[in-house]
Amino acid sequence: MKPLQIKLLRELMRLKGQMLAVAAVVACGISVFVSMSSVKYSLEASRERYYNRFRFADVFVQVKRAPEFYRETVSRIPGVASVSTRIYADVTLDVPGLDEPATGRLVSIPEYRTPVLNDIFLKKGRYIEPGKPEEVIASKPFLEANHLVPGDRIAAVINGRKKELLIVGMGLSPEYIYEVQPGSFFPDKRRFGVFWMSRRALESALNMSGAFNDLSLTLAHGASEKDVIMQLDNLFKRYGSLGAYGRSEHLSDRFIVDEIKQVGIQITFLPVVFLAVAVFLLNIVLRRIVATQRDQIAVLKAMGYSNEDVGLHYLGFAMIPTAVGALAGTLLGAWLGRGLMDIYSEFYNFAELVYYFRFEDVALSVLLSFAAALFGALGAVRKAVLLPPAEAMRPDSPVIYKPGFFDRDVLRNKIPVPVRIIVRNLERRPWKAALSVLMISLSVAILIAGRYTYDSLDRMVQVEFNEKHREDVTVIFNDPMPPSVVFNVASLDGVLEHEYYREEPVRMSFGHRVRRQTIKGIQSAEGLQRLVDKSNRRHSLPPDGIVLTSTLADILGVRPGDRLQIDFLQGKQLHRELLVSGTIDEILGLSAYMNLDALNRLAGDGGALNAAYLRIDESKSGKLYSSFKKMPGVAGIMMLKAMKESFDELIAQSMTTSTLILTSFACILAFAVVYNGARISLSERARELSSLRVLGMTRAEISFILLGEQALLTIFAIPVGFLIGIVLSALLARALSSELYRLPLVFSSFNFLFAFVVIVLVSIVSALLVRRRLTNLDLVEVLKTRE
Amino acid sequence: MPDNPLDIKQQKAVLSISDLSKFYIMGEVRVDALKHVSLEFYEGELAVLLGASGSGKSTLINIIGGLDVPSSGKLFFHGREITAATEAELTSYRRRSIGFVFQFYNLISSLSALENVQLVTEIAENPMSAKEALMLVGLGSRLNHFPAQLSGGEQQRVAIARAIAKRPELLLCDEPTGALDFQTGKLVLDVIEKVNRELGTTTLVITHNASIAGMADRVVRLRSGEVSEDRRNLTRMSPSELVW
Repeated sequence: MKPLQIKLLRELMRLKGQMLAVAAVVACGISVFVSMSSVKYSLEASRERYYNRFRFADVFVQVKRAPEFYRETVSRIPGVASVSTRIYADVTLDVPGLDEPATGRLVSIPEYRTPVLNDIFLKKGRYIEPGKPEEVIASKPFLEANHLVPGDRIAAVINGRKKELLIVGMGLSPEYIYEVQPGSFFPDKRRFGVFWMSRRALESALNMSGAFNDLSLTLAHGASEKDVIMQLDNLFKRYGSLGAYGRSEHLSDRFIVDEIKQVGIQITFLPVVFLAVAVFLLNIVLRRIVATQRDQIAVLKAMGYSNEDVGLHYLGFAMIPTAVGALAGTLLGAWLGRGLMDIYSEFYNFAELVYYFRFEDVALSVLLSFAAALFGALGAVRKAVLLPPAEAMRPDSPVIYKPGFFDRDVLRNKIPVPVRIIVRNLERRPWKAALSVLMISLSVAILIAGRYTYDSLDRMVQVEFNEKHREDVTVIFNDPMPPSVVFNVASLDGVLEHEYYREEPVRMSFGHRVRRQTIKGIQSAEGLQRLVDKSNRRHSLPPDGIVLTSTLADILGVRPGDRLQIDFLQGKQLHRELLVSGTIDEILGLSAYMNLDALNRLAGDGGALNAAYLRIDESKSGKLYSSFKKMPGVAGIMMLKAMKESFDELIAQSMTTSTLILTSFACILAFAVVYNGARISLSERARELSSLRVLGMTRAEISFILLGEQALLTIFAIPVGFLIGIVLSALLARALSSELYRLPLVFSSFNFLFAFVVIVLVSIVSALLVRRRLTNLDLVEVLKTRE
Repeated sequence: MPDNPLDIKQQKAVLSISDLSKFYIMGEVRVDALKHVSLEFYEGELAVLLGASGSGKSTLINIIGGLDVPSSGKLFFHGREITAATEAELTSYRRRSIGFVFQFYNLISSLSALENVQLVTEIAENPMSAKEALMLVGLGSRLNHFPAQLSGGEQQRVAIARAIAKRPELLLCDEPTGALDFQTGKLVLDVIEKVNRELGTTTLVITHNASIAGMADRVVRLRSGEVSEDRRNLTRMSPSELVW
């Protein structure tokens, strides 16, 4: 090895604490980048592969019942590549070991296996056999959650008749990558499952022979989705279609696309912060190295080393820790990425969720980190290169101090000397002080932003499961029921409170903006379901007019006072005009609320109800549930408690993981900045501090001078960090918001306290580490060597 | 010009300095470090540049060594104008022709004695081995010691070994004994004298210590940036005979 390389390595070893800190910050940034990039790509690629392999459709339409020959008609629409028709129905299931009824979605498949759109990936077991109507393939999440295996039996109430179904296979479909019960947001694996059964069996069970109620199609290359949808709408309007829609409105796909988008946001946001801090750290560390090695630079140049040799040598001080950080970050990133994919596979049911670790991501991350190293080192390396050799032989000229703000007569005598030294140091280089404050505050900000999602989800749970919904169960009907039938539910023993709602699919338009949407007619906003916005404020429901989720109002471009055009898609299919009487900034989904009576009047019928909210007597729940299982017209029930549990289990778990990662990274960041700051301060002032010791100051006094400065910077950084953290969280909330959900901007005092405690602890640890060096200051040696 | 032309042997001028001036601007003050200096140094010569601090001797040696550039005037090395050289040419001039010894040794503290010398042998064209150079200065037994493990005199000898390992044509020593005690200083001067004698390297020693002048072929005295005296010693004393 060449002597200059030996010098580089030995000196890096001597500065290992500082260099490791830099490497750790780079590693954090790179690991986030590598893991998120690879996760994003893996999700995209897995989705693409899955869709292609199992022929996920491009356009979907559901109808009440349409004759099978329409399949031919649709296939002749220009731009349509292939068409599949199916029969589907939501039924109640009697799951062994489960008191309450579960919901099953029955989906027809050909009796003989042929390639169809939205095909099944058979994970276990076998395909159904012709002539055996009881055989079904069930979805994997449902089977696993209920500990069922192929060979088990399950009872279903189909069209009022109880039927035994024999599970022969375990399957997955690209249609249900995100498998949730219709009308719900969070998966409840135990109480909702998809069952694929023979078309013929479903035809006879539902009296649907020669007909279908679900059609999906793929588009030819270059075909216009919009045109095809328009044609389908014209075709199926009279068959009770609620409007055809493309993949972008397919719930499962939307969740995945949203997830991919969110991962993309994290790719840009976090690594940028970490690399920026790495740039800052390298800048201050290298400047200090070059400053202390002025004479060595001179000697090297005097010996005939060229400026490039010297420049490259000092660049090495930035490149090596960066390379170590990039390597560690890449390995950590690959590990984190794999772990994240495991969490994703809990949420999303891919046929195969393959983790792709791409060379491009690594190359890009290495490139990025080296660019950061170069950028951070540039100033110092430039200084080393430009330093004239003769100049370098002379000590650096003393830094210039000028009387500052605190040197005014009034203050001067009141401030003790050590404090004045601290203050002057900060005053002398205000930019450096400001940058240090900014860097420490960034780690505070990441702590705040990391825990923010936690608070936000807490609020989400509070609003959605405690304030907005107070029912125990929701009983969902297969078809809209007349009020008289529905009241039977209320009279069941054990029902304490009951409330009904109606859901009317409509097309809303305002100007040129059109949107398919369901209007929810509720009895009151003060009952079991209340109108609560994301700030946990309650809203009232006016007797007339419609209240829209703010996001929906924005999409339509309407404000309270505007008049919406409404086309009912069912029943008499009336066209109406409706006053927007208010907006509500809700957390989940897009909703439109009306008073139930007003909606009934608007729809022009005697009123129909889709579901009932019930508060029940827990002690009588068993009996109640079994009567629901037998009740015709009940498609299923949703239990608030179960949804809350599944939310806690799935989403909170992944959030806890990411919060843990972010918190550890923020600690590393804070430590790197504070520790390096103190070390550099020590290096700059060792001589001065030793002189003070020689003059009779105690260790405690010089520690105060050195660490006081760091403490002051940290104290300034905390409130700044709080502010940046709030802004960062707001940006994050905005970036992560979608039509599916909006994160409420809410901070618990615990969040700030946590960030405060972490940053104080990190500061104390780095102060102790530096103090140990301060204690070991060799007074004589320091004074002997020249500046 | 030498004041005793009879003493001039038939020597080739290695270095010619003509009308060299250097000034610095320090704040609002102009400091003239060198004023119209003209000198020649000859092959194999051991010259001592005497002068109080601030007399301009360090400035002169820095310019000769290609570390600094003059404000005006010319400097020729073997007839080649150094003052007109580019940055790259200066680097190569220092790399090939010049050996530096500094008052504070300026060793790289993270490198052992051997490695410090290898810093030079690494980039020089026809160097002696680093070990050989260290043997020459009497440090053959301390090759793997780090600067912090060596005495001041030993460190300075490593610095000399580092300077001579490339077989420079010109050895420039800036106050080589400035930081050393009398005995150690003499030991270091011994080594410099030995290098000059055995390798025939033209050697310039800068010092404020007039007693050292006795070991030189030639003594040039600088005062306030001007040459105030330029004389030849009839006999060169051995450094061990020096007293101060």
